[in-house]
Amino acid sequence: MTAPALEVKGLHRLFGGLPAVRDVSMQVPAGERRLLLGPNGAGKTTLFNLIAGDFPPSRGEIRIFGENVTRKTAEQRTHLGMARTYQIITLFTNNTLLHNVVISLMGLLKLRFNPLSDVRRQKALWDEARTTLALVGLEHLADKRVADTSYGERRRLEIAMALAQKPKLLLLDEPLAGLSTDERRDIQRLLQAIPRDVTIIMIEHDMDVALAFADVITVMHRGQIVVEGNRADVVADPKTREVYLGH
Amino acid sequence: MIRTSRTQMVLSAVGIAALLALPWLVKSDYYVNIATQIVIASILAMSLNVLVGFGGMISLGHASYLGVAAYLTIYLTAHAGFGPLAGALAAIAATTILAMLFGYLALRASGLGFLMITLALGQILWGIAYRWASLTGGDNGLGGAVRPRPFGVDLMNPTAFFYFSLIFLAAAFWLIARFIQSGLGQSLQGTRDQPRRMRALGYNVWLIQWMSFVFAGFWGAVAGLLYAYYNQFVSPQALHLTTSAETLLMVIAGGTGTLFGPIVGAALVVILKNVVSAYITRWLMLLGIIFVAIVMFMPEGLVPGTRRLRGILKKHQASPTTQALPVTGERPT
Repeated sequence: MTAPALEVKGLHRLFGGLPAVRDVSMQVPAGERRLLLGPNGAGKTTLFNLIAGDFPPSRGEIRIFGENVTRKTAEQRTHLGMARTYQIITLFTNNTLLHNVVISLMGLLKLRFNPLSDVRRQKALWDEARTTLALVGLEHLADKRVADTSYGERRRLEIAMALAQKPKLLLLDEPLAGLSTDERRDIQRLLQAIPRDVTIIMIEHDMDVALAFADVITVMHRGQIVVEGNRADVVADPKTREVYLGH
Repeated sequence: MIRTSRTQMVLSAVGIAALLALPWLVKSDYYVNIATQIVIASILAMSLNVLVGFGGMISLGHASYLGVAAYLTIYLTAHAGFGPLAGALAAIAATTILAMLFGYLALRASGLGFLMITLALGQILWGIAYRWASLTGGDNGLGGAVRPRPFGVDLMNPTAFFYFSLIFLAAAFWLIARFIQSGLGQSLQGTRDQPRRMRALGYNVWLIQWMSFVFAGFWGAVAGLLYAYYNQFVSPQALHLTTSAETLLMVIAGGTGTLFGPIVGAALVVILKNVVSAYITRWLMLLGIIFVAIVMFMPEGLVPGTRRLRGILKKHQASPTTQALPVTGERPT
């Protein structure tokens, strides 16, 4: 039996005395599209940050493809096949889109420690970056500075940077936030085109888009998982209604 | 990424030619020696710029490498019986090892914490140099060094020593420029801009910063070696906070994150310190005024500031309103 892409057991995170994530346990099989739902402050992004290794859990265990990564750093987890995007776009705004993707690609290469080899001369790297940008429909903007692009284009670049690393587990933190209807449709299409060998866990507030995308939905509230199941089960569950409507 | 434009290449060629012709142009040993001081200060400022400009790590302990390398060079060659080459190599190697240790300690913190640790480490070394008089000569300093004679060239001659230093400056410039465009240099700039994102992309931010710290320490040591040869004497002043602050001032005044900025900054500070101080007693006040003026009118530093002004000027010249102006210079009513 293959190990799940992600396994979380009894994960707990306190900020001071405040529990942001409380005894969360979940399993995401390889290839699954998992949606994390919940109102603001439910602990979704904190859970993402714990999985990504941004900060350690107060207790609990995280396994990626069967490997215990609880004590591993964020970069070590990335080298195990995990990639992520951020709720607040985090890019190198003074560089070109192409350069951003090159930086992403370099993260997994020994070149990142080389003090002598000129990155500008790594033709294969730049070609690969251009191909990745073409995947998300940004090839025509490759040489434009990120600072001169629109919000939607930056969102797509975030996804391109994650995809450039050929992840096995992809964490998407509100990839549709702040986008227009057309831009949402574009990103939605882009996400649907990601091959099934990539496991995706996504946080999203747009129920229509999210429900159409997900195989399994996990609803969080006050740091805990309150409902988990397929679309029909979660929509029908009164706890979901309670979390969102308060009754 | 830093791109080399045709203008930059032309300016570089003119600069190199001017530097090579300098001893004939100034025709005075005094000014040749000033130029040598600028060259040494430039190497030190360029090395600090790797940390400050490209790594976002503001250090107030960079004089440590200058001072330690200078003390070691003089001690090993004049007091411990080392030959010039062995003494120089040992001094640079030992100082680089010290940078490894200092980097390990200082990079436990970032921002203000990093600044304070580097300051504290630098001041510890200054205290040792000041108090351990039997080894360092204390306040009197350590002397007795003789400039080497590589391939029979007498470096006691100011012009010969200027060219000797210039070779090191050229090597430092080329290797630092190469470093900036290298995988490690690009990674360093990424960690300066988005450390969290870099971690998520698979970069070991600490290791990248530490390697760059050691690289900067190495060039600080090279500057220390030249400092020892130039002065043939070293005192605790070389390790003092004021030397570190002065170097930081050179970097900020010239322009952080640029290759030429620290050289321009070094020239400005050294000229003010040596030439202007001969005419004005309160030269430090003048330095302060100039620094305030730079911060007010070119906060990004002289080199990027000049580039920005040139850009504005070009834009203004190219704008339709300007093109439509009558050639006679009459203003349209």
